[in-house]
Amino acid sequence: MYFDSFADLLQMGKHGFYVWTAYGTTALVLVASWLSARGAFIATTRRLRQQAELVQRDAPTTNSMENDS
Amino acid sequence: MLSASLQRLWHKLGSPRWFVALTDGWVTALGWISLVLLIWGAVWGLGFAPADYQQGNSFRIMYVHVPAAMLAQSLYIGMGVAGFIGLVWRMKLTDVAIAACLPLGMVITALALFSGSVWGRPTWGSWWEWDGRTVSTLVLFFLYVGIYALREAIADQDLRARASALVAMVGTVNIPIIKYSVEWWNTLHQPASFGLTQKPAMPSEMWLPLLVMVLAFYAFAGFIVLVRMRTEILHREMGARWVREWLQAGGTR
Repeated sequence: MYFDSFADLLQMGKHGFYVWTAYGTTALVLVASWLSARGAFIATTRRLRQQAELVQRDAPTTNSMENDS
Repeated sequence: MLSASLQRLWHKLGSPRWFVALTDGWVTALGWISLVLLIWGAVWGLGFAPADYQQGNSFRIMYVHVPAAMLAQSLYIGMGVAGFIGLVWRMKLTDVAIAACLPLGMVITALALFSGSVWGRPTWGSWWEWDGRTVSTLVLFFLYVGIYALREAIADQDLRARASALVAMVGTVNIPIIKYSVEWWNTLHQPASFGLTQKPAMPSEMWLPLLVMVLAFYAFAGFIVLVRMRTEILHREMGARWVREWLQAGGTR
């Protein structure tokens, strides 16, 4: 490692605050982007699955009605 | 014969169903690749690269700032190209691509501006300079916000697609301005530290972590854009039979 100790790594001379702020924000932005994209995908596939179940449940009923008439 | 098969590929590329089937395996792979590269690059850049002889440790911000700024522009170029193809060939998939690039492009541009500001404070002595590079990047951010607002405002899907394609395409004139701003105007912003043709102006133990981080950011963008495109396609094709079949076949990624 470039730094002598963990404390040195955190301190980074006098630039610790700036460097860690930049990296922390980056981590936050990347994680948030991932969670938001993932959330949208899960929500959409859940809706699709519910819709598919509805279609399957409705299908026999529609057929029987057709047979009745 | 070549042109015929090229034409077939072109049509396939435009087909949402084919796109979803093609990219089934890519999502997980890209996600893991980007995670590994991000951790590798960040640890290398933060803890192992030597400090800059002028800037000290503040230069480590470069490892997130430069990839973010590169990606901010690349995603916009991607939207511009998609917009052009969409307007000329009326491909369905291009509007999906624009919708998928937009949110990531917007936050990544904000990140480039923010990390630049945090880097500027210890290096230039100020959080913000009205400088060619910073202002043109701010314009890039407003272009993203503008297209986002436009898409929110227009309910008609076809009109929305055409309007955002047009703005995305026209807005690409800003990209060369960002690129050459450090050469055209007297500026505080340092010139490119990286290029395809010239040797980097720093030792390899400094630029190799940057290369890893750039690759990491691009893999991450590929991952996010792909997930968002697939989501958008499934959403738009909700009633389609192939979507049901894809779902039953276990398509959950």
